[in-house]
Amino acid sequence: MTRKLTPNPSCSIGGVKMADQGVADPGNNNNNKPETSEGTIIKVTVKTPKDKEEIAIAEDASVTQFKEEISRRFKAKQDQLVLIFAGKILKDGDSLSQHGIKDGLTVHLVIKTAHNPSLCNYLHSNTTSGFGDLASLAGLGMGSANFMELQQQMQRQLMSNPEMLSQIMENPLVQNMMSNPDLMRQMIMANPQMQQLMERNPEISHMLNNPELMRQTMELARNPAMMQEMMRNQDRALSNLESIPGGYNALRRMYTDIQEPMFSAAREQFGSNPFSALGGSSESGAQPSRTENREPLPNPWGPPNSSNPSESGGSTTGSTSTTGGSNPSVSNPLGINPGSLGNGMFSSPGMQSLLQQISENPQLMQNMLSAPYMRSMMSSLAQNPELASQVLMNNPLFAGNPQLQEQFRAQLPIFLQQMQNPESMSVMTNPRAMQALMQIQQGLQTLQTEAPGLMPRYAPTGRYTLDNGFQLFCFFWPSLMTGGIPGIPTGGGMPVENPAPSPSSAATNTAQQQLMQQMLQMFAGGGAGGSTQTPEVRFQSQLDQLNAMGFINREANLQALIATGGDINAAIERLLGSQPS
Amino acid sequence: MDKNATRYSVQLYIYDLSRGMARSLSPIMLGKQLDGIWHTAIVAYGDEFFFGGEGISSCPPGGTMLGPPDTVVELGETEVSEEIFMDYLSSLGESTYRGDRYRLFEHNCNTFTNEVAQFLTGRPIPSYITDLPSEVLSTPFGQILRPILDSIHIAPPGGNVINGGRNI
Repeated sequence: MTRKLTPNPSCSIGGVKMADQGVADPGNNNNNKPETSEGTIIKVTVKTPKDKEEIAIAEDASVTQFKEEISRRFKAKQDQLVLIFAGKILKDGDSLSQHGIKDGLTVHLVIKTAHNPSLCNYLHSNTTSGFGDLASLAGLGMGSANFMELQQQMQRQLMSNPEMLSQIMENPLVQNMMSNPDLMRQMIMANPQMQQLMERNPEISHMLNNPELMRQTMELARNPAMMQEMMRNQDRALSNLESIPGGYNALRRMYTDIQEPMFSAAREQFGSNPFSALGGSSESGAQPSRTENREPLPNPWGPPNSSNPSESGGSTTGSTSTTGGSNPSVSNPLGINPGSLGNGMFSSPGMQSLLQQISENPQLMQNMLSAPYMRSMMSSLAQNPELASQVLMNNPLFAGNPQLQEQFRAQLPIFLQQMQNPESMSVMTNPRAMQALMQIQQGLQTLQTEAPGLMPRYAPTGRYTLDNGFQLFCFFWPSLMTGGIPGIPTGGGMPVENPAPSPSSAATNTAQQQLMQQMLQMFAGGGAGGSTQTPEVRFQSQLDQLNAMGFINREANLQALIATGGDINAAIERLLGSQPS
Repeated sequence: MDKNATRYSVQLYIYDLSRGMARSLSPIMLGKQLDGIWHTAIVAYGDEFFFGGEGISSCPPGGTMLGPPDTVVELGETEVSEEIFMDYLSSLGESTYRGDRYRLFEHNCNTFTNEVAQFLTGRPIPSYITDLPSEVLSTPFGQILRPILDSIHIAPPGGNVINGGRNI
C-alpha cells in the first residue's frame, strides 16, 4: 500500500514538522482552528498604532478567519478592522498566503472608529482655509450634527484655552454674530435652563426682549475695557444706594429675587452655554452687598484702589458673607469674587475672613481650582513668565511699590512652579488644611506683633511655603482678573489695604508690606526646602547639565541652582562670578 | 488579487536641516562624514505629513519653512485609502506620536516616517536616514552634545497639527 505523499505537513516524513505541529498545538488553544485542521501555524504580528500582538494562525487561513481571531484579541468588531500588508488592504475573500504573509511578518491593523469624515475635511479645509480661526474650530470635531453637542464641544475648547476666547471675540464673524441682538436672544432663549428662569422671573424676558439693552450688552462683551468701566460705575452707584435709608433692603430684595436664581442657574449650566452669563447679568448690574455693612463706605473719589465697594464689599470688611463671592457675572463667569480673594495683605481681617470662608465652603475653592479655565491659565502663565509679570504690573497693588514688583518678578518662576505642584493644589482644596493654614496665619500675626525681630529667623518649612503659595495665589488672582486676561475684569481693581477705620492702619500697612517682603524672601529660600522634593532631586537635570559643561563642584552648583531657582544660565553666572578664573 | 483597488503613490521627502553644512563640517567636527542632518516627511494623498515637537503635522507638500525637499524618494504605492490613513494617523497621534513624545535621537521625525512608510507600503525608508542618530552618538562629540541636543525639538513651522494634541 502506497502512502500518498501529499505536502501535508502533519504526516511529513521529516518528522520535524510533526514536532512543530506538536509545539504549536498548545498555542492553538486560543486560536481559531481553521475548518481544515491542517496547515502550519504561523505567528503573525498584528500591529495597531497603539500596540501590537502576536497572533498564531494557520498558514492557509483566509483573511476572514484571521479577522475573527483579531477581533477577539483586540476586542473590536470584525467590520471595524482594516488589515494592511505591504501597502495592500487585505480583503475578506483573500487568503493570507495570497498576500505573502508568512511567519514572523507584521501586518498593520487599523480599527475604524466613527468619526472619519471630519479629519479629511479638516485637512482639506485647512489647506484652503478662508475663515481663519473658525475653520480650525470647525475642524476640531465637527462630526456631530447635533448643535447642542457642538456647542458643548466648543465650550470645552474655549475652557481649555483662554486665549482662544479672546481670539474668537476678535474674529469679525463672531463679532457680527454678536452684534445681532435677535440672534443672541434666540441663542439665549434656546437654553432650557434659561427658559425656566425666564418663566420664574418675567423681568428677565423683558430684558432680553429689549434690543437696545441687548446691543449694549453685546458691545460690553466685546469690549472688555468698556465692561470694566461699566462695572465700576455700577458698583459705585450701588454703594451710593446703600446709604439711602431702606436702600440696603431694596438691594437685598433685588438680589434674592432676581439675581440669585439666575446666577445659580447660570452657574450650573455654564458648561453648556457660553453666552448665558453674558445675557443674564447686565440686568440688575453688579453685585449687591450681602450682609450688614457696618464699615464706613469707601471714598469713591479717593485713590482708585480703594473704590471697590460692592463687588468686594462684603468681604473686604471682614463680614462672613454666605455666598462667599460666588456670584457669576458677565465679567466673572465662574463667580469668583476677586475682591474677597484678593485682599492680600496677609494678616488682614479680610484674609482671615477669606480663609474662614474657604474653610466653610470647600466647594468654592474646589470650583475655583478645578475650573479647567483656571488650570490652563496657570499653566500658560507658568510657561510664559513675561505674561505673568505683565499681569502683575497691571495690578494696582504694585503701582506704588516698584521694589515689590522686582521681588515678585524674581520670585515668579518659583511661585508658578509651586502653583503647579499638585500638592499645593490638593492642600487648597482640603478644608482642614485650609483651617490649619489659617491658624498658622493667626499665629504668625501674633508672632509679628509680639516679637517682630523674630520673623527673619523663621525657618522655612514645607507648610510655610504652601501658605505663602496660597497667599500669593490669592494675591495674584485679582491681578490675573484685572490685568492679564481680556474680557474678565473685576469690579474696579483690588484694594491695597482695607478701608479700616483704625488710625494706625497706615502704619500697619507698611508693616504688612514689610512682612510680605520678608515672606517673599523666605519663600524663595523656603521654595527650595519646601515642596516634596529636595533641591538635589528637583534640580537633578540642571545639575547634570552643569556637570556636563564642566562645573564639577556639586555643592557650588547646587547652591547656585537653589539661589536662582533652577535657572541654569543665572546659576552659571553665579558660579563664574564666584570663581577667581 | 484584484487590480481594481485605487492606488495612491507614496513619496518620501528628505530635507537637509543643515543646508549642506553637515557635509562640509562633519569630518572636522565629528570625525566621520555625514552628508546631512536629515528630516523626512511622507507625502501622500496630496499632503505632506511629518512628526515634530508639536505632534503629527501636515501641510501642502514642500510647505514648511524648510522649502522644497532636497531629495524625493518614491516609496511605492498603497491601497490604503485616505480615510483609513487619517484614522491611523490620529491613533498614532494619540499614542506614540504625541508632541511630548518627541525625542531628537530616539523617536524623531524619521522614526515616524519609517513607521508610516512601512504601514503604507510595507517598505522602510532608506537606512542612511534612520542610522543617523546612532552615527552621531558614536562619535565623542556627539556624546558631549547629547544633553543639549536631547532637549531640541525640531518642529518646522508651516504645518497644521493633526489631532490637536495639546501639550499644555
